[in-house]
Amino acid sequence: MNKVVDWFTPQIALARIAWLRTILYLFVILDMHAFVRDTRLKGEHPGLYQPLFLARLFELPKPSVANTTTLYVVLIVFCLIGATNRMPRLAGWIVAPAFTWWVLIGMSDGKVDHDHLALVVALWVLPTVASGTKGWNFTWRRDVSPYADQTRSEAAGWAIRCVQISVIATYFLSAIAKLRGAGWTLGWPGSAILTWAIVRRPHPVGEWLLQYPWMLHVMQWVGIIGEFCSPVILWLKGRWQLLGALFFIGFHVANTAILMIHFLPTVICWLAFAPLERIVPWFQQRRAKSRSDRDAGEAEDQAEDGRQAKEQAGA
Amino acid sequence: MAGVVMKERAGVRLGRVGKGVRVVVALAGIVLLVNGSVRASDDAWPFGPMSQYAGMIADDASITYTRITAQTDAGTTVDVPLNIEGAGVARAEIEARTGEIVKNPSLLQAVADGWARKHPDQPKYVKLELIRDTTTLVDGRVDGDPVPEVLATWQVRK
Repeated sequence: MNKVVDWFTPQIALARIAWLRTILYLFVILDMHAFVRDTRLKGEHPGLYQPLFLARLFELPKPSVANTTTLYVVLIVFCLIGATNRMPRLAGWIVAPAFTWWVLIGMSDGKVDHDHLALVVALWVLPTVASGTKGWNFTWRRDVSPYADQTRSEAAGWAIRCVQISVIATYFLSAIAKLRGAGWTLGWPGSAILTWAIVRRPHPVGEWLLQYPWMLHVMQWVGIIGEFCSPVILWLKGRWQLLGALFFIGFHVANTAILMIHFLPTVICWLAFAPLERIVPWFQQRRAKSRSDRDAGEAEDQAEDGRQAKEQAGA
Repeated sequence: MAGVVMKERAGVRLGRVGKGVRVVVALAGIVLLVNGSVRASDDAWPFGPMSQYAGMIADDASITYTRITAQTDAGTTVDVPLNIEGAGVARAEIEARTGEIVKNPSLLQAVADGWARKHPDQPKYVKLELIRDTTTLVDGRVDGDPVPEVLATWQVRK
């Protein structure tokens, strides 16, 4: 039992949370302009609005110019604050519901995308982690940079674990959905689904592949087997885990080429697996090394100067 | 990075309650996700099934694709961009309401109005055609070019 509990709460350095805050809060701003970018337009033309379950459950108001514009401004302001790791919990608790609502509106016209699970979960778990300095801290300079804080924390580990589980769930549950879509049989990988997708979204790479249905079937098999095995990555370590991550990033590159579906909001969350906390120590070590190299170089230069001086003196 | 001080400190552990609550929340999330995948629909976002491209398409399926073409007052024929920035309507919406549009082609007026409102400096639509392209598969292979079929025509009101 304790082992299971500890698996959900590994000790991970707070620096990884700080890096994720900066990267993900900035990514949210990008997302609002590049991916889920029609929320404000839906505020202007709410005619097609079909509220999803969560919106009905919380009786969220119909999108309007006023509420979507407010949402936009609030998100930009608090994402920028959160990204600096200043008042990260306050900013985080505002960004999480605000962005969830933003995406909820964006997906309320009959089409729901499945690439936002990990990002939304990340936004909800990040503010549960207290930063290294306790309580309110109004001093501008901190004695430990949050990006370098090697304090290992179970709270941080839990947040990271939740993001990792959500990333993996995105793949594993896709495989489940494929079984369900085929009436709980393994009919999907042998079906003409990719042909169908390419015919409806034609472009050069896809149209070339249409001539080789067997290649599309191979891709479907590789895809579904990869998705089924994805949970293994949660228990892999080091290089093997990196290899697993690279497989899925390659999977997304292929999907982008064939279907023009990028899944970047999920891809960015793979960073929860990366030992981001090592960036600052690595950088400092490099700098220290180059400084000691330079010092050594300067010492040689001085010796050289000394010799020259002696020679000159002897001349 | 001035002011960076490296400290390797002992781990900060969670209290019993904090740990328990977190584990329960994580398990509840997993249960909701699995439940969504097994039983729910897209309506349950973010706990719905990951059903993009999860459908089965038979080897002899007919693949349909609905589009709208427009004759403009500049004398050209163009494909209407079916997205919120183009004509203000998404393709999914048109596909979902094809039956209604066939019965009542005046619904296409909204497409022309949407285009004119968003692109006041571009040629206006004078006539719209709702077209369904059908591509047939034989043994999982595309068999010939798509066959277009005009489902509805609408002379745009000024």
